[in-house]
Amino acid sequence: MAELLQFIITGISVGMVYALIALGFVLVWKSSSVANLALGQIVLVSSWFTYAMLAQAELPVYIAFPLVILFALFLGWVIERFALRPLIAQPILSLITVTLGIGYFIEGVITFIWPWSVDALPRLFPRDVIHIGPAVISQEYLWVIVICLVVFILLSAFFRYHRMGIAMRATADDQMAVQACGIPVTRVFSTSWMFACCVAAIGGILISSIGGITHGLVETGLKAFSVVILGGLDSFAGAIIAGPIIGLCESLGGGYLTPILWAGVKDIIPFVIIIIVMVIKPYGLFGEERIERI
Amino acid sequence: MKTKRLVTIIVVCIALIVAALPLLSACDGGGKEDKTLKVGITTPTTGKAAEKGAPMGHGNLDCFEYINNELGGVEGYQVEVVWRDNGYDASKVVTIVKNFMDEGCLMYTTSSSAMMTASMEIANRAGFPGMAAFSSPIIYRPPQHIYGQMPDYGDDFLAFAKYYLDKVWKGSGKPKFAIHALNNSTGKGAIDAALAYADSLGIEILWDGQPGKAFEHKADSTSEMESLTRIKAMNPDVLYISSTPAPTALIVKNAYELGIYPGITIGSGHAGFTSAFVDIAGADIAEGVYGVFPTVSWGDDVPAMAKMTEYVQKNHPGDYEKRNMDYITCWAQSLIVAEILRVAVKNVGYDVLAKGDAAAWKAIEEQGIQKLKDYDVGGLHGPVSYTPGDNRLSKSVRVFQVQGGEIKPLTDWIDAPVVKYEEFDWFGK
Amino acid sequence: MSLPCGTRNYNYSEDMAIVRTKTHWVLLIGFLVILFTTPLYLNNYWLGVFNLIGITLIAAVGLNILVGYCGQLSIGHAGFIAVGAYTAAILTNRLEMPFLVGLIGAGVVSGLIGIIFGLPSVRVKGFYLAITTIAAQFIIIWVINHWGYTGGFLGIKVPYASIGGLVFRSESSQFYLITIIAALCIFFAKNLARAKVGRAFIAIRDNDLAAEVMGINPLYYKLLAFFIGCFFAGIAGALLAHWIGFLNAEQFSFTESILYVGMIIIGGLGTSIGPIFGVIFIRILQQVLTVNLVPFLESSFTAFPSGFATGVTPMLFGLVIVLFLILEPRGLAHRWALFKSAYRLWPFSY
Repeated sequence: MAELLQFIITGISVGMVYALIALGFVLVWKSSSVANLALGQIVLVSSWFTYAMLAQAELPVYIAFPLVILFALFLGWVIERFALRPLIAQPILSLITVTLGIGYFIEGVITFIWPWSVDALPRLFPRDVIHIGPAVISQEYLWVIVICLVVFILLSAFFRYHRMGIAMRATADDQMAVQACGIPVTRVFSTSWMFACCVAAIGGILISSIGGITHGLVETGLKAFSVVILGGLDSFAGAIIAGPIIGLCESLGGGYLTPILWAGVKDIIPFVIIIIVMVIKPYGLFGEERIERI
Repeated sequence: MKTKRLVTIIVVCIALIVAALPLLSACDGGGKEDKTLKVGITTPTTGKAAEKGAPMGHGNLDCFEYINNELGGVEGYQVEVVWRDNGYDASKVVTIVKNFMDEGCLMYTTSSSAMMTASMEIANRAGFPGMAAFSSPIIYRPPQHIYGQMPDYGDDFLAFAKYYLDKVWKGSGKPKFAIHALNNSTGKGAIDAALAYADSLGIEILWDGQPGKAFEHKADSTSEMESLTRIKAMNPDVLYISSTPAPTALIVKNAYELGIYPGITIGSGHAGFTSAFVDIAGADIAEGVYGVFPTVSWGDDVPAMAKMTEYVQKNHPGDYEKRNMDYITCWAQSLIVAEILRVAVKNVGYDVLAKGDAAAWKAIEEQGIQKLKDYDVGGLHGPVSYTPGDNRLSKSVRVFQVQGGEIKPLTDWIDAPVVKYEEFDWFGK
Repeated sequence: MSLPCGTRNYNYSEDMAIVRTKTHWVLLIGFLVILFTTPLYLNNYWLGVFNLIGITLIAAVGLNILVGYCGQLSIGHAGFIAVGAYTAAILTNRLEMPFLVGLIGAGVVSGLIGIIFGLPSVRVKGFYLAITTIAAQFIIIWVINHWGYTGGFLGIKVPYASIGGLVFRSESSQFYLITIIAALCIFFAKNLARAKVGRAFIAIRDNDLAAEVMGINPLYYKLLAFFIGCFFAGIAGALLAHWIGFLNAEQFSFTESILYVGMIIIGGLGTSIGPIFGVIFIRILQQVLTVNLVPFLESSFTAFPSGFATGVTPMLFGLVIVLFLILEPRGLAHRWALFKSAYRLWPFSY
């Protein structure tokens, strides 16, 4: 019984990590219908930049974190301006492939600047754990959950009430009408990419303080896709809800199925869920169905 | 419009030039007049294993620089090193090894076991001898042309288990070991050793539901709480982790969070037991973790330490700052290669080896590698000898422990027994 | 095709010919002669590179049929190649069947797995299908790693390819085997594009709702596209298995899949000659970077932290993919077509 509680708590906290990355993805999709497959690499490069600020340049935390945010904003602006703006009306295969190419390029830059592939951030959170009944949760994960929820609330409010947020929703709906109304579409895209990279950077700092900075962050980014698919590609609420669901499935599935089936079942569960969702309900739990006409 | 055309023409021209470059080098071919002995070295200097591969490349190249400049080469002949980065990419390493064979290299070395498993079939088919720094039983059982420089991950586990039984275990009966294995040959080595030898040693292995199934994790795992929760429920005495540094650190952290460590004993194989592990886990959490490593550590009083320290501080001070052990491993590897070349030149003479063809490879293997006897590698690791039927060149490890944030040695050399894995029918063919 | 001035087509077979004029025949035969005599003047290493190019070409042609002609996004091609490779390995190693059985079996099994993972294509398209194929790749690799029959994590050994008594042991014998199979595959793909099936694929790519309205059965043709694309991937995988000799799941990574998509886009999507350009470009670039450029940079710039130059390879690849998409989205095949027409129309090549 104690195990069950531990599995549930672990599952929810790991799921919120995925949800945080997924929020960045949904942000870009919601405003420009572009699938950002370079998300894992953006998370990784932000983590490395944080490491550079904290460990190599040895700046204090309150200077380093704003610098990381600035870096993420700059990165988002650069990607949108030079790689995505020329491809505004191209078919979706080109857009997906260009983000894959950008991801590959970022991996190369990371290897170029920090050729040793693994490192650790200086400890940011106290190491004691919080006890919830017989189960434990580490403080880092608690921070992940709190920050994830805060980001979610901020983003949802932004999209609903702020002018730029509404402009983003309008652009996703119909670009030409938006241009006719005088909203600068290119600025909308820029802003959405900058925010998405920002969210990815925050996610990167938190995840790398849990498990160190390794190439595995890219694969964690891929698992975030399963969250996005389950929750619906254009729904923040979907990401927040689907994240813990996937985390729970991983944790409970891993905990109870592994002894019966093969070792490592836990790793494949998110991908199997993707296939199942595709067959049953392709647009996810909260996604908007696209109606296609000839 | 015109600039776009201009740019595209330039890009196409560059592409054509780049495509034509290799043809130029293909025509160029040989023509070297100096008498050299060529060896091929490939390390995963970038990619997933870069934090081990890069210092290993440094160790290899620095040592050969030392041998060529200060010792005048091997028996007076300079050693020409053909170094290639394989990026931890298996198809790349296949083309690299074929390149080595073409260039007339006499033998080749790799650092990682995954890279050796990818290339060993090509090398075995051609009779091209190779040496793997980190290896796994599948590489040299049954023994062919590939040799393991150091004991493999299975040997680590057996040596650690022996040490634990002798020095740490205070209860009666059989201690319970839980194995957490990385999902590749690193982890599998320890699992195979446990399957083959656990009963003979006198330990009980806690399997995950079915015998032969160890607890498994991926290199990019973010949380191992659920597998550790299951382990906790089985009440182990020892948790042995056979993995790379980052997942090892994660597991130790999770074990600390769950409250089982400090409490049980944690041991790690040599692939994961590095300073990166201590950094990521945090020196306070990693305190007391045991590990096995097949080489000495920095600062030990052995003959080769002085020169090695001098070169690392000169060329790669970053590796010295982190007291990187992989550098030592590959400095030792280069010393062994030089010794092989020396013994071969003494036995068959330079001219046979200069051709760099199949006869030269046979000569290197039979008159060089297989004639190694008690070569001390400057004291950097256990003595290197070839025994027929066993392609491991060195069979001893030392047990270390994390104390005060540093990795300190506890024992002298412990020998790992020869396990004839191919006699078990569950061993892969 | 665009014919030189004065050449007219007087009957159907002339109109449909792939090789039409005498110049075409001369060039084709000359090229084939050069191609089949390459083992005489290339050393073993370069023959190995050409073998790798040939194998990659077969898989890329399959992917081109799936993505370029039928418009079904698939970023999991390395997984299907892995299926083919392991099927061939199991058939020849564990079940000790002859090489040809392994080859065809690999193709068929890979095609069937492609159909299974292609089933969602009937409901979803675009990015959703891409994610499904990514998931498919990871699931396939996971199954290979955990199924003891495939050797699990340690991998599996593959014997030499052999037909009858002829064993393909040397690089040049494998070169002939791979080149002949690759030529057959390209010929098949080119004719596929001109036949009814190919036209159905193109119709589905352009607008699948309209195609359905016109009477093309999307379920049948989409699954057929997956089968053919993955069949080729399976054949490529089988040849790869015999060429390397030892299979390990780590050889079929997600990065490889990205590279395949990059290859067909750089080469030119939906053309028959595009994959050839793309594959040659990417593979030669890889070799030049690994063998020549990186050690050169490493030894020249020793001041930088070591290993920095190896970051140049992914950087360059990513940059190449992005630049090609921005500047020349129709790929090298388009440039080649422009070049041919410029040559034909010179001096009026504007």
